Amino acid sequence: MLEVMNLSAGYGAMEVFWDLSLKFEGGKTTTIVGPNGAGKSTLLKTIMGLITPMSGDVLLRNESCLNAETWQRINEGLVLIPEGRLLFGDLSVEENLIMGAYPKNSRKSLENNKENVFNLFPRLKERRNQISSTLSGGEAQMLAIGRGLMEEPKICLIDEPSLGLSPVMTHEIFSIFRELKEDKLTIVLVEQNTNQALKIADHVYLMQAGRVALSEKRENIDLKKLEDFYFARN
Amino acid sequence: MLELTLQAIYTGLLSGGFYALVAVGLALIFGTMKVINLAHGELVLLAAYVAYATESKLGLNPLLALPIAMAVVVSAALLTYFLTNHIKKDRELNSLILTFGLGIILTNSLLMVFSANIYSTSTEWFFEGVVIGDTLFSMRSELLAFVVGVLSLGGLYWWLNHTWHGRAIRAVSSNLDAAKLMGMNPKQAEMWSWGVAGILATLAGCMLYTTSVIHPPIGHGLTIKAFIITVLAGMGSIPGVLVGAFLIAIIESLTATFFQSSLSELASMGIFLVVLIVLPSGLFGNKRIH
Repeated sequence: MLEVMNLSAGYGAMEVFWDLSLKFEGGKTTTIVGPNGAGKSTLLKTIMGLITPMSGDVLLRNESCLNAETWQRINEGLVLIPEGRLLFGDLSVEENLIMGAYPKNSRKSLENNKENVFNLFPRLKERRNQISSTLSGGEAQMLAIGRGLMEEPKICLIDEPSLGLSPVMTHEIFSIFRELKEDKLTIVLVEQNTNQALKIADHVYLMQAGRVALSEKRENIDLKKLEDFYFARN
Repeated sequence: MLELTLQAIYTGLLSGGFYALVAVGLALIFGTMKVINLAHGELVLLAAYVAYATESKLGLNPLLALPIAMAVVVSAALLTYFLTNHIKKDRELNSLILTFGLGIILTNSLLMVFSANIYSTSTEWFFEGVVIGDTLFSMRSELLAFVVGVLSLGGLYWWLNHTWHGRAIRAVSSNLDAAKLMGMNPKQAEMWSWGVAGILATLAGCMLYTTSVIHPPIGHGLTIKAFIITVLAGMGSIPGVLVGAFLIAIIESLTATFFQSSLSELASMGIFLVVLIVLPSGLFGNKRIH
């Protein structure tokens, strides 16, 4: 469904990752775990076209999408739910959600989807007229997720969804992801909360310092072994 | 005395509607792409000359020039956009030089084609007086310019909030990366803002021709006025443009009434400086287009 081949990218002259190759199967949930600075978010931004790679290729349904602009990739159903910071800070909560319905295919069901998002996150409904830059970290995160769902993704990249959320809220968000997974959505989940992320994963990548340190099916993962890798205890 | 003051405020209010119409196109483009179009006043003047040509050569009412003027001015605005788009480095800064140069070219082209003569409309309907409440007097054209100005700003506000092209402009102006992630094409949003700014400049130009006199150098003055109002508003804010335009125009009109008209520009500049000292980011500062 989505594949990254020998990809290298970074900011300016500084490379963040080198020669990465990952495969994300359709209808499956792939989790990328790894410590801060491993290059996980940069990888997602490069897949979306927000960062131009230095070399390598990104394949969407077996075709290179490097020449497609970010907005063209969105129209192919590729959606990134960024960390809570990438909101329209001077617009209200509701306006942020409406912007999410911009892709042509999702405009028709704007009202429906908005109601769904408000049902998932009643807090957003309470604060629908509030300017989004004044939201708390957790609320901003909910809004980023809600806005991403408004886009009706087919392949959904999710960057650190649990960041800044309470354990209860984290649990709730993961139950939403589980529902999306049951709807056969292709999910690429970047998470530092390894425990939660592993529970819904079909395949797990561990990234460290710009490289893939481990690639395993979920059922072959031993949490102890993963933690050893994570903390480089070998 | 009271009557005179009210009349001065009324006159200022009416020209404020016109000023807002001139300024809002500049504010829109600035809000979308941080480019200050220094040829904006010249685009307004271009529309005014199309209205003049339509009236004097074809003998039509200058308002009938609107479709032709719109085609000409929107094309000129889009051409300016495409040239601006070819700036490879430091677009915000280098576009100042580019658009300033284009303004000079436009002014001199108008001078070449229409000479330095002063023109105004010969359609009498526009100069006839309208009296409101027995005391407040204006020309029909001034009232028309006010109504067109306020309606255009209202229309623009609605368009930005309720259409997908308008929303894309607001999104791009608010957070470029986030806008891309919503599937928006920033280039398309920029093009729409230039096109709409062209339409607004056309309306302003036709109103300029019917209320006042035109000659080639005034384009530059209009740009400066539009720029001051945009800064006063808080770069990119549309309600701010309306308030800023009213403020500037009413100050000018009061100064002209109680002191002398040659001081009116000085007075509005003085207010401009005071506002910037007290509120450095303008009246509605730090808010982007909305």
